[in-house]
Amino acid sequence: MVAYRRRRSFPRRKVCRFCADSNVKIDYKDPKLLKYFITERGKIIPRRISGNCARHQREITMAIKRARHIALMPYTTIQPH
Amino acid sequence: MRRYETLFIVTPDSSEEELKAVADKFQGVVTGMNGKVASYDEQGKKSLAYNVKKQSKGYYVLMDYLGQAEVVAELERNMRLDDRILKYLTVKLADQVDPATVEAAKPKPKKEAEKTEVAEEEAQSPEDQESEEEETEED
Repeated sequence: MVAYRRRRSFPRRKVCRFCADSNVKIDYKDPKLLKYFITERGKIIPRRISGNCARHQREITMAIKRARHIALMPYTTIQPH
Repeated sequence: MRRYETLFIVTPDSSEEELKAVADKFQGVVTGMNGKVASYDEQGKKSLAYNVKKQSKGYYVLMDYLGQAEVVAELERNMRLDDRILKYLTVKLADQVDPATVEAAKPKPKKEAEKTEVAEEEAQSPEDQESEEEETEED
């Protein structure tokens, strides 16, 4: 018996939450929402993990970058000395 | 006219009067250049995600206004010169807006979208045509 080398990932297909609920507006002034799409280190979570559709991922990316610029979100959590 | 919003951070050790002075100054800049301030919203003191000019906190202020591109240039120039402003970010919200449809200091973003389309059909001024850049960001 051949051992399954490659572990099957869950086939659960995530649905873009912004397509599912059109009431949620992506806004750079809303770090609470955007926080969901960054890692602990402050990096933007890729689409394949977050499950966003291309369009909304683009908007999220834009919003996160704007929020970073105006110091609402961190560029990195490692503080420079 | 175009609609912009500028989010800026005022230094945390400023007093009530200084915040008022900042408000008067920048609203004056906009109105002085034939712009129109739609709203001026002080969002209060928040902690910054990272230190800016050695400050870890700041007063966030969101100003929503109408005007030509020169208004933004002048406003940002003033913000750069002003020591009380730690950082600012300007984003364009709409390209062609009829100023009559926007009440001063009372934003109506929902209605805005419909009115913008009407304004486009009526007045197509040539200088409003080209504007690719969606925002101006500067330190």
